[in-house]
Amino acid sequence: MKNILHLSALLLLIIGCSDMSTLPNLDLEDQKDYFASTYTPMDSEPTLFKSANIYDGLGGEFIGYDLLVADGKIIEVGQALSNSGVKVIDASDQWITPGIFDIHSHMGVYSAPGVSTSSDGNEATAPVTAEVWAEHSVWTQDPQFALALKGGVTSFHVLPGSANLFGGRGATFKNISQNTIQAMKFPDAPHSLKMACGENPKRVYGNRRQSPSTRMGNMAGYRSAWIDAMEYRDGMNERDADQRPTRDLAMDTLKGVLDGEILIQNHCYRAEEMAMMIEMSKEFDYKVTTFHHAVEAYKIADLLADEGICAAMWADWWGFKHEAYDMVPANIAIIDQARNGTGCAIVHSDDAVGIQHLNQEAAKAMAAGNRAGYSISKAHAMKWITSNPAKAAGVLEHTGSIEAGKDADIVLWTHNPFSVYARAQQVLIDGAVAYDMNDPKKQPVTDFDLGIINPKINRVQ
Amino acid sequence: MKYFSLTFFAVFSLSAFSQSILLKGGMVHSGTGAGATLQDILISGNEIAKIGKNLTINGKTQVIELNGLPVTPGLISPMSNLGIVEINALDVTRDDESDILKAGFSIFNAFNPHSTGIPWNRSNGVTSAITSPGSSSFPMFGLASYFILDGSLEIKGLKDIAMFGRMGASYGSRAETLTILESLLELGQKASNTPVEEILEMRLADQLELQAQDILALNNVVNNGLPFVLETNRAVDILQAIALKKKYGLNLVLSSVEEAPMVIDQLRASGIPVIIDPMDNIPNSFDELGSSLLLGKVLDQAGIRVMFSTQRSHNYHLMRQGSGNAVAYGMSYESAIRGMTLTVAETFKLGNRGSIIEGKIADIVVWDADPLEPSSFPKFVFIEGKSQDLSSRSTRLTERYTNKDDKPSSYKH
Repeated sequence: MKNILHLSALLLLIIGCSDMSTLPNLDLEDQKDYFASTYTPMDSEPTLFKSANIYDGLGGEFIGYDLLVADGKIIEVGQALSNSGVKVIDASDQWITPGIFDIHSHMGVYSAPGVSTSSDGNEATAPVTAEVWAEHSVWTQDPQFALALKGGVTSFHVLPGSANLFGGRGATFKNISQNTIQAMKFPDAPHSLKMACGENPKRVYGNRRQSPSTRMGNMAGYRSAWIDAMEYRDGMNERDADQRPTRDLAMDTLKGVLDGEILIQNHCYRAEEMAMMIEMSKEFDYKVTTFHHAVEAYKIADLLADEGICAAMWADWWGFKHEAYDMVPANIAIIDQARNGTGCAIVHSDDAVGIQHLNQEAAKAMAAGNRAGYSISKAHAMKWITSNPAKAAGVLEHTGSIEAGKDADIVLWTHNPFSVYARAQQVLIDGAVAYDMNDPKKQPVTDFDLGIINPKINRVQ
Repeated sequence: MKYFSLTFFAVFSLSAFSQSILLKGGMVHSGTGAGATLQDILISGNEIAKIGKNLTINGKTQVIELNGLPVTPGLISPMSNLGIVEINALDVTRDDESDILKAGFSIFNAFNPHSTGIPWNRSNGVTSAITSPGSSSFPMFGLASYFILDGSLEIKGLKDIAMFGRMGASYGSRAETLTILESLLELGQKASNTPVEEILEMRLADQLELQAQDILALNNVVNNGLPFVLETNRAVDILQAIALKKKYGLNLVLSSVEEAPMVIDQLRASGIPVIIDPMDNIPNSFDELGSSLLLGKVLDQAGIRVMFSTQRSHNYHLMRQGSGNAVAYGMSYESAIRGMTLTVAETFKLGNRGSIIEGKIADIVVWDADPLEPSSFPKFVFIEGKSQDLSSRSTRLTERYTNKDDKPSSYKH
């Protein structure tokens, strides 16, 4: 019923009825009902994990503690918890962590197989495409989701690619394959806006003899768009509906950033470019949430800590382009330790293999940091792949740590998750067993995987 | 800061005694596939002079107490672009492709021992590497060479030790790729008793615009047992490759082989060694639908010799992480170590390298912990008996940016 009302209001706007001012105030709030999450958790049963070793994702370590989950939520971490009426799993000598969260994924928009018809991540037709939404590209049958799940990934943020200055909106998902995109969307998660610095936009458009072809062209492109967006926002805030501009999808997105509702996820490698992006955010009064890839973040670690901006980084990838040349494996640790440990470091994947092993990437980054002279514990480093990315996606109140009341998104590991030998034994999403290494019935098989090599055999085994 | 000074100290103190070094009490993985044992290793000159328990030494020998730290042969990358690609996206820094030569394209003379990837990989335990040409639309990309990664301008290694190529989902029909491959091998066969000039005048050689270098390379593949590393994935393509090996008597090595488990019996019977990326379980193409993290285990349990490539360029040491994952999924630990060392040396006939055995060249790494854990790191790296500096641009940058002196970073050095 509500939707029908919205539709009629929209139609009135489109045909430009002169009587608009008498209608209920049409604002973009109403638009949030479209494409909203319809996710509902799978059935679960109350479960007690006995005598587990727990990293809570906030820096805490609990050796030999029990964890109770029920009704899809984390109920309690404690010792000798009552096990009456619940399923009990002996987790002695095993490890439990929050579900792994990847803040930089292209699953679904660059699905496997990586064929041209599945290349849906870059609307590389104009440098400003803030109007596109990554979720509108997602292929729900991408076999990569299930592989990431086996690596303990319970939530991930899907971004458009980095060809454009403004690549479009990103969205957060629960890692349960469903037949509609809305059914996978993380409830109440904010959208993000993907921005990109540096070589990619200037190469893509420079090669076509159009702007931007330089880094200064990049900056001019962003600033021009923000000027338009401020004008649009002011127009949309007019009391008199007649004075409001025609609705514009790209401007809706930029306005959402200026209003603080859409979070900036900014692909940016070089230190001086990140500093420039921060300066621009002050010029137009918005906030950068996270710099992505950020190979040179360590050069401005204090600045990022002072500004409260996270950096999402690889442990050690480098050399594929010039702006990724100054890699140091201590990058993540240096960001983490900046300003007395107030920095926000994230290990991200941007890769369908890497997303399956974010725990190993964190292990490398932690070891490199400790070799550089820091004393970073495993419990602390666990933040880099759980609570910090959840914070950067705006969903920390729901997931990313083991705290009473949060979604029961957790991983039971066979070994300490900082070891290469650790495998996810069970992965729970909202308390439901989404993956169990010992139970083929609790391992997702996408339509793509089903019978594709041999009608009787599923691809992922 | 701490990192840098420790490294510096190690190099300084060892280089003064580089003639004779005793690595005392290390947990030695010989690279042969045998289980690790606690041993002393005496390095004399560039060789492993003696291995045993409680070796006695003369007064001039430098003794390094290892207290049970893991020791392995220096890692050998079977498939890298070290020394010929500085930055992938910048063509002017790449020497891995030829516009004119095909099978006969040799990258040997392009090798830059000062490339920043070399100290980086060396400090991570890779002491030598096979560097291969980049892929092209032709089924044979050209000739790979072997390089010792000591950074010396006096380049040490072996020239043109293997042909690299590919068959499968890429350009045109794989049926055509196979036909061209066979035709090239036929030309190679002819080269044993036909002058190169005559072969060049043949219709196919002319159409494919082959050069004399291409014919000589084909001759080496078909008549002289030059290893031919062929990338292929689909199960039925692997069978085609096995048939090619039989028909032409090739010294074939297969790489990638993501669907090998479906033809495991035939592959085992063929005796073909393989190079795999054990972490790549993504069905990236319709050739790789069978990809799985179990690949290393299945190959290893069939007794097939396995080596490791890495998914991304520049970090060839990450074959440690890859093989560690293979072990997590069931491959044997010592096969994994062997796959990064002796198996590469044997497959590509790299001489006395790749194992810790008396009389072999002393390319040795001492690790601070389990070498298959990606978080572990070398404590000492020896190449030809000489302790190597473990610094790189990364350690220099780390030192600069963890230095809190109040001055511009450009003055911190």
